[in-house]
Amino acid sequence: MKNKEAQLDINISVSYSNFNLDINQIMPLNGITGIFGHSASGKSTLLRAIAGLEKNLSGAIKLSDSQLVDTEQGTYLKPEARHVGLVFQNSRLFEHLSVLGNLEYAAKRCKNSQLDINDIIELTKLKPLLNNHVNQLSGGQQQRVALARAILAEPKLLLLDEPLSALDQHSKKALLSMMLTIQKQLNLPMLYVSHSLDELQQVCDNLLIMSQGKIVNFGNIHQVIHSLNDLKKDDRDEVTELTAQQTSLSLPIKNVCNEYGLTSLSLKDGQAIYLDCDDSYNKKTEQLRCFILASDISITLTEPVNSSIVNHLLGTIVCIQQNKNKVLLTVECGKQDFFVTISSFSQQKLSLKIQQQVYLQFKASAVRTFIH
Amino acid sequence: MMNPDLQALITTLQMAGLTTVILLIIGTPLAWYLAKMTSQFKVLLEAIVALPLVLPPTVLGFYLLIAFSPEHLPGQLWQQATGQQLAFSFSAIVIGSVLYSLPFVVQPLQKAFEQLGDSLLEAGSLLGAGPIDRFFTIVFPLTKASFITAATLGFAHTVGEFGVILMIGGNIPGETRVLSIALFDHVEAFDYARAHILSIGLLIGSMLLLAAIYWLNLPKKAKRKSRVN
Repeated sequence: MKNKEAQLDINISVSYSNFNLDINQIMPLNGITGIFGHSASGKSTLLRAIAGLEKNLSGAIKLSDSQLVDTEQGTYLKPEARHVGLVFQNSRLFEHLSVLGNLEYAAKRCKNSQLDINDIIELTKLKPLLNNHVNQLSGGQQQRVALARAILAEPKLLLLDEPLSALDQHSKKALLSMMLTIQKQLNLPMLYVSHSLDELQQVCDNLLIMSQGKIVNFGNIHQVIHSLNDLKKDDRDEVTELTAQQTSLSLPIKNVCNEYGLTSLSLKDGQAIYLDCDDSYNKKTEQLRCFILASDISITLTEPVNSSIVNHLLGTIVCIQQNKNKVLLTVECGKQDFFVTISSFSQQKLSLKIQQQVYLQFKASAVRTFIH
Repeated sequence: MMNPDLQALITTLQMAGLTTVILLIIGTPLAWYLAKMTSQFKVLLEAIVALPLVLPPTVLGFYLLIAFSPEHLPGQLWQQATGQQLAFSFSAIVIGSVLYSLPFVVQPLQKAFEQLGDSLLEAGSLLGAGPIDRFFTIVFPLTKASFITAATLGFAHTVGEFGVILMIGGNIPGETRVLSIALFDHVEAFDYARAHILSIGLLIGSMLLLAAIYWLNLPKKAKRKSRVN
């Protein structure tokens, strides 16, 4: 299961009468790669193609050294021979088996297994549920069983097709953080499809954006999220329509929960960002994933020393984009770009210009994070 | 010598038992194929399978009698292979019963396979299970009730068969003389006392068989209900 240099090389097209998927992309598989797009953009079709469940496919897919499919050469590995796992939106557990029965179903069919079923039960916290019938479980518990079952088949790549979309916020957080732990402990590459950018922002290393059956962007999670902020791009096309403009950050933790209940993160130039403390942060978390909506940040020309707002960062305006009555500013603070939307009225009033030094201010509660 | 009615009972059970086994063996893949079929020919194939439901048994029996006779190819091939005549043999009534009871086995299975869908099979394949493995570890356990129903209906319907057997089997004791034929004989001979015994026996036997099946399918549901509460 150790895939230091795992990569996925996809060059396929899938055609239906009303939908075409065309993908030509080499993806390095480190950590969790997010796949984002509106519904019917082809996200699930792409996962099904990789898993071997998509029949109307032509082209080739290669996972590291193994050729999963090559229609020109006549190679087509069946799903059971691909070593690719898939966790579906609906858990698809076997009703005639108990929780343990479902887990053993996968473990028994895994050749040269290296994982101990008890370790995975521990990781997914399923011990108290082992003898339960799967119909008795809650949605979150069912997805935990589905995740554990997929892992016990010891895939080289785990695909997750909106596994959290039917869950409540609490279960979502728990499962996301579990996925992250599992990814790190087992070094198992994952492709994670979601229509929630917030979820992806929290766990993914890379992000792939799909629209109308094509890949429109792929790269580092923060860079890709920032590219969605762009106002000029087709007057906010259908992908960016789904997302709020934001600054996406991974920052080192400077101080966990000080006496006022604030946690601080440090920027490269030493400036600090404060956010509300959460009991679940621990000292082991070195980098914290968080995001700040562009509409939650405001601009002042002088340092707001008499304000209750705890975060104020000095930075330089590097880009100004206007769209109707809104202005998107890109402000660089400590080598980090921050994105701020203000009204064009405010922009006129402050007569903001490129290279001008300004202060960003935002509340601690505007720095959002929901797992760790 | 054995009581002729007892012998008819044994012949009936042998015929129905063997027919049910053969029907499960050929009916299962046929039902699977029909459930997964998407082409327009599905309707045609379904109609052929359902034909014995509406066709008078004597029509089927008549055509089978012709086919099984030594003058025609199926009958000839059988004679060459086994050295025996096919028409008026135990084998003939088993083949006739298989055709006649086919829809009673195929239809419940097809419905069950269609309802099961592909989602769990896809999940199974991604856990490393091949097609045969998936059939025995996923499909069969989840459609077991339909298999029991199919086998029961196939068996019971074969026991109750009359027209086809009369046409292709005749009335040979220990070979093709089954209960329904024996009953007919007694009535023809005005031996109503023995006809009553056979009739009430068949009636009670069929009742018990059906009740047993409904009972077999019951506990699972009852258990599930109590779990939910």
